[in-house]
Amino acid sequence: MYEKHLMICGATGCLSSGSNAVEEALVEELEKHGIKDKYRLVMGGCPGFCEVGPIIVVYPDEVFYCRLKPKDMSELVEKHLVGGEIVERLLYKGPDVDAPARFYDTIPFYAKQKFNVLRNSGIVDPESIDEYIMRGGYRAFTRALNLDPAAVCEEVKQAGLRGRGGAGFSTGLKWEFTNKAPGDKKYVVCNADEGDPGAFMDRSILEGDPHSILEGMLICGHAVGASEGYIYCRAEYPLAIKRLRIAIEQAEEYGLLGENILGFGYNFKLHIKEGAGAFVCGEETALLASIEGKRGMPRPRPPFPAQSGLFGKPTTINNVETLANVPLILKEGGAAEFVKIGTEGSKGTKVFALAGKIRNTGLCEVPMGITIREIIYDVGGGIKGGRDFKAVQAGGPSGGCIPAEQIDLPIDYDSLNEAGAIMGSGGLVVMDERTCMVDLARYFLSFTQKESCGKCTPCREGTKRMLEILNRISEGQGTPRDLDTLDSLAASIKDSSLCGLGQTCPNPVLSTIRYFKNEYEEHINEHYCRAGVCKELFNYWIDQEKCTGCTACVRACPVDAIEGEKKEPHEIIQELCTRCGSCIEKCPQDCILITRVGSEADVSN
Amino acid sequence: MKKFIDHCCEKCTHSKENPCKDFVRCCLEGPICHESKACAEQRKEMVDRVALNEKFTFC
Repeated sequence: MYEKHLMICGATGCLSSGSNAVEEALVEELEKHGIKDKYRLVMGGCPGFCEVGPIIVVYPDEVFYCRLKPKDMSELVEKHLVGGEIVERLLYKGPDVDAPARFYDTIPFYAKQKFNVLRNSGIVDPESIDEYIMRGGYRAFTRALNLDPAAVCEEVKQAGLRGRGGAGFSTGLKWEFTNKAPGDKKYVVCNADEGDPGAFMDRSILEGDPHSILEGMLICGHAVGASEGYIYCRAEYPLAIKRLRIAIEQAEEYGLLGENILGFGYNFKLHIKEGAGAFVCGEETALLASIEGKRGMPRPRPPFPAQSGLFGKPTTINNVETLANVPLILKEGGAAEFVKIGTEGSKGTKVFALAGKIRNTGLCEVPMGITIREIIYDVGGGIKGGRDFKAVQAGGPSGGCIPAEQIDLPIDYDSLNEAGAIMGSGGLVVMDERTCMVDLARYFLSFTQKESCGKCTPCREGTKRMLEILNRISEGQGTPRDLDTLDSLAASIKDSSLCGLGQTCPNPVLSTIRYFKNEYEEHINEHYCRAGVCKELFNYWIDQEKCTGCTACVRACPVDAIEGEKKEPHEIIQELCTRCGSCIEKCPQDCILITRVGSEADVSN
Repeated sequence: MKKFIDHCCEKCTHSKENPCKDFVRCCLEGPICHESKACAEQRKEMVDRVALNEKFTFC
């Protein structure tokens, strides 16, 4: 028996901040002390708090160590593992806690979270089917096999599970369509083609708990009458793919995949298809074309995949997070538990990826109905650098931005739709007052424009024209008519595009015009970008009265555009300044102003 | 018994080719098809090796 378990975050976020090196150093230290066999080391799934990675959680002591470096491992081993004393300096510290926080229950980031989908992440070894079974895994599947397929569909429908990939369609209803579709061959497809910038919910679920996806697919297969399934996962997720492969091999070895599963006469075969990273392949008909070996392009619907999907057969396509919810609903008493969480129209929890100007970047799972304020300030710890919250982009490039005035908006499918955004897959990009909303719209539209497959004219040409206008506006060449043109182009693209990518790609533009029209007008009429982002439309100016001549800006400037003697006010040589923003980031006195071109006046507020 | 798919004793007949409908429940609550304290103990040992705390398993 092991004395302790050391759960090291082995998900991509922590791996990129060095958890592999931390693990190596830990192993070395344990070997040096001759105690390696006493401890169980697991490179597990993501505990969500990427901002403070790499993370090690020690059980049964329940100690959460974070921001670890390889050099910390000798102290951790000597003091904690050998000496039994907690290393306080490696615990979580931050402005939101009075004293170093020891475990999940005292870290504010976790206080409002509810782990359903992420129930096993960081708790089990994702490469062990036995541990998944110990946590109750495959029981829901066994129970489902004892039920009639139509009853399984009904249970999912009654639980109110809605698709977590974007549109929020009823999952049970979707299953029922495929179940009722005629045909002896049917498919289940898991859409793991997560492509929104800043989103990594599905990747973390796949990396941390791959068996939950297999179980969800097996239940779905039984419910709709499918004997074969595909997981369509982008090739940029090598760890997720590796763990899925291991999970499939294990499930086959245990007789949970293959022929006559558990003696119920149910057959199910599972394949992984690696996608090449095209954003449009997240659209279901393009995804199906890609699996079939064709170019990833959408096709008109109807027929919907439930009638004619993969290889022309009835197919159910569900997103990763949707499938991870399924075992929770189908377990004994699961549906009754599931409906207790969330709102009337949006049941359960939602996993969000917090990115942008927020203090606690990472992954969080919260009950539906939580407000934006709670996510940003209670979970996310507020805005970086103490700046003001300006807006949040929900739903990625297909979503919309929600302004600070709506900070108390509850996050559920219907409220977000009313606000002009969508739930999307769960990316939340947070913005502060230094974010230019025209530039934001331009960024998302340039993304969707590049990712447009080109099949239909409204999306291919319309996004290009919209992008040209936005480029013009951010260069100070916009005209008052441009806003009307953007509006009418957006309406045409939404109405006439072939697939969801085109139908939703104007959303960031429309929502920023709706809530931040004044910024567009300032760009157009006053040639001024108040956020200091659009380089043609502002100057930096040093406030001569406030500047102490500390030279921090001089040292930061990469083009030597700041001059002045030490302890004397400095000045920016406007002809040389490239407006890169290095000086404003470094100035300790906040004396660098964003001004209109040719003006010394501070108009940034 | 190192894995749940391993046989606890010669009375256990579960395999991929000879599947059992109670296999998943049997992993934690078994053996189901025969009575044996020793076989139950083997399962408990497997769980105890990796259980992080008393809340780890769900039956």
